[in-house]
Amino acid sequence: MTGVRPRLEDLSIIVSGQGGDGSLTVINILADVLRSVGLRAYTERDVLSRIKGGIVAATLRACREERLGIGSQIDLIVAFDVAAIRKESHRLNDRSIVIYDNSGGALADDSGVPEGARVIGIPFSRHAVRAFSRDIYKNSISSAVVGRLIGLSDTDMRSAFEKRFSRRGAQALKYNLDALAVGHELADEVGLTADEGLYDIVSADSEPHMLITGNEAVAFGFAVAGGRFFAGYPITPSTDIMEWLEKWLPRFGGVVRQAEDELSVINMAIGAALTGTRTMVATSGPGLALMQEGIGQLGMAEIPLVVVDAQRSGPSTGMPTKPEQSDLNLLVYGGHGDFPRIVLSPGTPEQCFYLTVKACNLAEMYQVPVFIALDQGLSQNLATIDPIDQSQVVINRGKRLDTESLAELPVYKRYAFSDDGVSAFATPGTPGGMSLVTGNEHDEFGQVSTDPGNRSRMMHKRQIKVQAMQPDLPRAIIHGARTAEIGFIGIGMTHGVILEAQEILAERGFSVQYHQPQTLWPMLDETPAFTRDCRCVFVVEYNATAQLAKLIVAHGGENAHIESILVFDGVPLRAEDLVQKVIERLDTRGEKVA
Amino acid sequence: MTETFTPGRPIWCAGCGDFGVLEALVSALDALQVPAQDRMIIAGIGCSGSLQNYLSCYGYHALHGRVLPTATGAKLANPDLTVIGVGGDGDGYAIGGGHLVHAFKRNPGVTYIVMNNGTYGLTKGQASPTSATGYQNNIEEDLDPVMLGLSIPGSTFLARGYSGHPAQLLQLTRAALEHSAQGRGMAYLEVLSPCVTYNDTYREWRTSVYDMDNEDGYDPGDRAAAFGRMTELREQGRLPLGLIYQGERPALESLALNPEFAVPARQDLQDPNLIDRYREAMQSFIR
Repeated sequence: MTGVRPRLEDLSIIVSGQGGDGSLTVINILADVLRSVGLRAYTERDVLSRIKGGIVAATLRACREERLGIGSQIDLIVAFDVAAIRKESHRLNDRSIVIYDNSGGALADDSGVPEGARVIGIPFSRHAVRAFSRDIYKNSISSAVVGRLIGLSDTDMRSAFEKRFSRRGAQALKYNLDALAVGHELADEVGLTADEGLYDIVSADSEPHMLITGNEAVAFGFAVAGGRFFAGYPITPSTDIMEWLEKWLPRFGGVVRQAEDELSVINMAIGAALTGTRTMVATSGPGLALMQEGIGQLGMAEIPLVVVDAQRSGPSTGMPTKPEQSDLNLLVYGGHGDFPRIVLSPGTPEQCFYLTVKACNLAEMYQVPVFIALDQGLSQNLATIDPIDQSQVVINRGKRLDTESLAELPVYKRYAFSDDGVSAFATPGTPGGMSLVTGNEHDEFGQVSTDPGNRSRMMHKRQIKVQAMQPDLPRAIIHGARTAEIGFIGIGMTHGVILEAQEILAERGFSVQYHQPQTLWPMLDETPAFTRDCRCVFVVEYNATAQLAKLIVAHGGENAHIESILVFDGVPLRAEDLVQKVIERLDTRGEKVA
Repeated sequence: MTETFTPGRPIWCAGCGDFGVLEALVSALDALQVPAQDRMIIAGIGCSGSLQNYLSCYGYHALHGRVLPTATGAKLANPDLTVIGVGGDGDGYAIGGGHLVHAFKRNPGVTYIVMNNGTYGLTKGQASPTSATGYQNNIEEDLDPVMLGLSIPGSTFLARGYSGHPAQLLQLTRAALEHSAQGRGMAYLEVLSPCVTYNDTYREWRTSVYDMDNEDGYDPGDRAAAFGRMTELREQGRLPLGLIYQGERPALESLALNPEFAVPARQDLQDPNLIDRYREAMQSFIR
């Protein structure tokens, strides 16, 4: 290859094979190398709820600009199993490059490779078995070939390998570095020599980005916010939160317990929260369903707790590894009886971090359960973000009484009536602060009461928190011109796709603004108002019954202006597909196409 | 002095075995000089679940069956507290039975007192896991939770008292609190506590209880022998009382907490020394 090579602007790579082939590892290593040279990376996984087998895929998008979604087309596919090529063929084009493992023979005529696409066959598996007696090393070998093809330097690849595999011990590191070297030799054999890749990739001088998932950002945010107790039970796709905290929280003085079930999780958390410790739990739909009795207890007994829900496809066991946003009703309405709560919805890992800090504060300021609504895509997809500015983290612990402030009170009532519905509380161990906390209806002292007058006042006390908290709730972020008459509303993993669709629509002459709510409950009027003000609003959500749109309409949104775009097949939406749907719907509605 | 809640008078029926448990607990706490502010009493749902209202303490009325997870969370977050779980046989062995298994296995430094009356008194006398066969048409064999505890290698303190034997009950309550306070883990004390209204077993239990504390040659440190002896006594229709088993294993909190730090509930979350540690975590996403 000669001449000036182009800069890498936007590249989508998919690595696919059987489950257990290590496709995700290849993508994660490439993402880290691209991050280290200053490019933006975003990854997505398409996996199955089994440890090995089935066709799985990991996708990487590398860009100069920030992108939080995968491109509609695939520029490069690495296939450990030829079946993967057919599965992805609809996203390939005549400029795509196909690298496949030809240990089992050459590609058949009906492989699905488009006319004109460049095809490179390399026997990864055979070399892995020959050199290491283990098939799994084919993924490290292939990483070397992909690195060469793109134009990543052998040195940068080696650094990424050292970083990744040194954690697994000296032997794992050695074998994988050897596999990288084998890969580089194979690359030479097929003419992919060093420093002659497709792109001119020069390391940027900018401050290095973080490569982080939403789950990790929530966990990190919790730690920095002073979270010191976490309980969990493994459940896809929330488990990474527990795993990150198990590693890190003890280093900050915190404690993490894996419990026997979600009933235990929520109640362990309640026990810890009662002592005045900042506490969080994380789960997914089935676990959240099990926790519901505890959620009501938090509301009634006024116990602060952050509950993270990494939503997955339901109902029931559903499709555990696939994305959905179908727990919104459960988050907003779940639990028996009436009680106040807050539901926050981040759309990027950065927002995951800051909204988790905010959630910890709100829980303690208002003594209510605070939910963080994630979804499989936001939870597990890696993205590059700017380093977190820890000086922006403010800790507010709400109304707490210590020994001195308690002693100044003539009388201490755990559930004292107040203007904002929040009662100051003393944590166990504080002399003179003995008190009763209960899920029974109670008087100001926490003594069980069924007196009708007391019941009315206590219900009111808890409900007025909803008004009191309004100024502290995170507001929606508006992207694009506020004068646009066409709008988008979306949360979680729809965020990056909507942003990109907005750009494509602008190129095609449609001015669209995007309203991204950060608080789903209590619903602030800004969101229904947005649907009243725009002529047509596309509410994009991953569920079958338009849970978000209905919530907005129930709170004053304009139903006639809303067009719901619903995805519930487990496949992440692509920007181009969203644009097509939007244009079709606008056409049907008779909107003038610019 | 700041005024706070006044402990109320028990709402239990006259003659209820729970009075004996409350009396023993208050006496033991006083004897061990546990200050009121350090007592955290976590109660279940049922008649026994109002015990925390009758003494000066930080009381929490838990969800039905969830006393042990709640107590475990509280103890881990603030091990300086004397955390005491109280509840009944329905709460602890039926709806909360799964947690009992895991609490034995975990060995948190909490004292757990189960008032076993073999019935659901508050809902008017349905059969419970410890009801005798035949009670309310019960066709199932009754559960022996002490033997359950013996079968779980993590358990460290298993005892049974009887409300009708107050001197021994006080001694066992005190021993249980001391076991947890000494960092030896969970002290499990079942108290035979008759329900005079729906399952009055005073007469029956008076004759069937059997005192292990005074049995010659019984070694509460020998788990296998204890299991064998419990099996024999059960076959003879006897109810063993006393310290059944006591073993040694570190308490959960001593294994789970980082000793470099103050207890989680008492940490300064704004400690500037944390910043470098947080930065190290952030660097792990970059390097």
